[in-house]
Amino acid sequence: MLDFIISLRSNKIGMPLHDKAFYSVSFFLIGVLLASFINDWQQKILVTVLVTVLVAMVFLIMRLYALSTLSVVEGLPYKSFWLAILSLGILLGAGYYFVFDAEQKDFNIHFGDKITFTGIIQKVSTGLNQQNLVLGLQDPYQGRIRITAPRYPSWSYGDLVEVQGTIKKPSEQSEKYFEKEGIFGTASFPEIAFMESGRGSPIKSLLFKIKGFAEATFKRVLSPEKAAFMSGLTLGETAEFSKEFREKMSLTGTSHLVALSGYNITIIGKGVMLALGLWFSRRKIFLLSTLTIILFVIMTGAEASVVRAAIMGFIVLLANQVQRLYSFRNAIAIAAFLMILFNPKILVWDIGFQLSFAAVMGLVYLEPAIRKLFKVSPKPGFLNWRANLLTTVSAQLAVIPILLSNFSSFSLIGFLTNILVLTFVPATMFLGLLVVAAGILSYYLAQVIGWLANIFLSYEIGVIDLFAKIPIQISVQSFSLIFSVLYYVIIITVILYARRRKAHVLA
Amino acid sequence: MPEEERRTFWRKPPHQNGHCQKIGAKRLMPIWCGGKYKSVLLVLAGLLVLDGVIWYLILFPKGADGNLELYFLDVGQGDSQLVNLPAGVQVLIDGGPPNSRVLSELSEILPASDSYIDLVVMTHPQLDHFGGLIDVLKKYKVGAFIGTGRKGEIDAYRELIHVLKNREIPYIVLEEGDRIKNGDNLFSVLSPNNQNLLSKELNDTSLVLMLERGGLKALYTGDIGFSVENYLTGKYDLRAQILKVPHHGSKFSSGAEFVGEVKPQVAVIGVGKNSYGHPTREALERIEEKGSRIFRTDQNATVKVVLEDQNLAIFAENDGY
Repeated sequence: MLDFIISLRSNKIGMPLHDKAFYSVSFFLIGVLLASFINDWQQKILVTVLVTVLVAMVFLIMRLYALSTLSVVEGLPYKSFWLAILSLGILLGAGYYFVFDAEQKDFNIHFGDKITFTGIIQKVSTGLNQQNLVLGLQDPYQGRIRITAPRYPSWSYGDLVEVQGTIKKPSEQSEKYFEKEGIFGTASFPEIAFMESGRGSPIKSLLFKIKGFAEATFKRVLSPEKAAFMSGLTLGETAEFSKEFREKMSLTGTSHLVALSGYNITIIGKGVMLALGLWFSRRKIFLLSTLTIILFVIMTGAEASVVRAAIMGFIVLLANQVQRLYSFRNAIAIAAFLMILFNPKILVWDIGFQLSFAAVMGLVYLEPAIRKLFKVSPKPGFLNWRANLLTTVSAQLAVIPILLSNFSSFSLIGFLTNILVLTFVPATMFLGLLVVAAGILSYYLAQVIGWLANIFLSYEIGVIDLFAKIPIQISVQSFSLIFSVLYYVIIITVILYARRRKAHVLA
Repeated sequence: MPEEERRTFWRKPPHQNGHCQKIGAKRLMPIWCGGKYKSVLLVLAGLLVLDGVIWYLILFPKGADGNLELYFLDVGQGDSQLVNLPAGVQVLIDGGPPNSRVLSELSEILPASDSYIDLVVMTHPQLDHFGGLIDVLKKYKVGAFIGTGRKGEIDAYRELIHVLKNREIPYIVLEEGDRIKNGDNLFSVLSPNNQNLLSKELNDTSLVLMLERGGLKALYTGDIGFSVENYLTGKYDLRAQILKVPHHGSKFSSGAEFVGEVKPQVAVIGVGKNSYGHPTREALERIEEKGSRIFRTDQNATVKVVLEDQNLAIFAENDGY
């Protein structure tokens, strides 16, 4: 969005290919956004067409105006002509959403009565007291449901099971969350009988086994709380968190650490770069950290959310590698495009996706602006504190409206806890990877590395425990869209202002 | 963004490496500022620290202080007790329900370096007693698993047996009359006999253990009800200073005669939030009548009893006495 505005201001002649790509993708995303907000079918089509026509009209009028006055604003007429054509992407985006939605809602589930059905387990997440299963129903039914089951017996991905129980529609509050996941019914504690295993994709089943091994290794060498925290940091797996600890993390503004976002992946990438910086050339380091990210993705079972995070993290690393900002802008737009193509519902309904995106934007655009405006020294400082402070502040500033509108609170003490914790997170995550790698070779080796990781984890959990006792946070009853828009307008203005100052100084 | 600024993300630009010159220790420079050697030195230092830690663990092994410690773990609604014998031998009796609480409790009691539990005992195959043991068997190395041989009736039991086989832990079956001896510590099995083992009521198949060390005795009763209590009362001298109250304080256990025979100074109930009404008023009254101090894991959290020079020291939260 920001670059959108910047490019409109700059007066280049014509429109290069990368710009065309960027704008078509942007319009596509706007189309998806429009389509997700409106519920009614006919309304959806009507509104999208109207908006598309309106946008196209605006650009065309701009061209006509420029032509008629023969203004000296070079390039603008040509550019606006292209924009008018590309704005048809809005229709395309909305259309894609409609088709996806219709396809997904094509399910056949019998609600409300006790029935017997069979299905294949597509996902298992084991909590402290229970297991949550995602089941793909088989004939005569069709669709995906979520089953809550006791902790034992343990089920695995790809198990074919016969279930006896009642399927209910998800509650109104959780409906959108489930819909995003393509789940349209829930069943709690039905009778489940095992029929056959190995009915899933062999690749996925291998990936889940690797994730299971990673989790089991953490559990063997660390205390349960620390193992859970480590699983959160490195695998984004939070099922085994206690309610108390979740609460503490939210009070101290550290929940994002275990939500495996692009942010975490960036941390890993930068950590690897830092560690290898002593030995290898820049290009090799970049390749190696990319390889590490791929390893991490495999370790987490390559779930959609993690793949997304990896793409985002990779993009930030890329931004460090490649200096041309427009290519970064395109990379981020294409990443968003690919993710949305995979599941258009995440744009509006997945908070993780939004947080990732906003945080990355903050890191890339807001951080340099803050650096400039406050004349921050370029040195990273003792234990990287200055760099961490800047990263935290810019990422947090970028996500405040999302946090406030979804969780109605924002932790102020979070700035402090994040600096204290973040400093040691890359090392912890890297040790986590080492623990798993060592666990393949020998339990004792893993145990020894585990002791090292234990020191870091004790510190991090200690900080969270301590600051959870003195929480300072902003709470709001409700946070309307207008405030969010206003907030981002201010942030964008600040960034633009900072850029101009830079130009000034250079001139 | 200028080239140099980008670099700082992962690599110090050349001018910052110059801090070595500021130190002024010119003789050390070739080693410390050589870049290549610096990392080698760091790795060496890390290894040295690790070596120190390992030596420390060898020279000062845990549990060598020579006191008998009995823990009654707060695992929610269920039973789990840890016995720390003076030689550093650990016996875990039951593991509570499958909620991982027993792991948290154990990790607080055992040092991070300790990944071995000598004996794990399952009094009887009910989920609120063995559920947590599945986690324990997966995490810790276990010398042997002790049970009655009675099979569980729920799916989770198969999982337990699967883990035992998988990790190659021997399952030892004990019955009335068997004993476990370690130095001057003795566990005697008081129940079940053949008849109790076949009882329709799974609770009555519980392994009942009497721990003796010097003059101290502690009675672990699993979930036994009146019938096994009466059987024991007629047959054994049940006097013990410490009683693990049977069946979470159910009203069908802790009969007046049985409690009178044991006459414990300290009675501990393993209990959490539940819908059975445990511990019941009836059981509590019968125990209180005999002048015992009652501790409950739902109110006192984990209860620790230490035998120091023939004196009992009790550590518990919210201790009203």
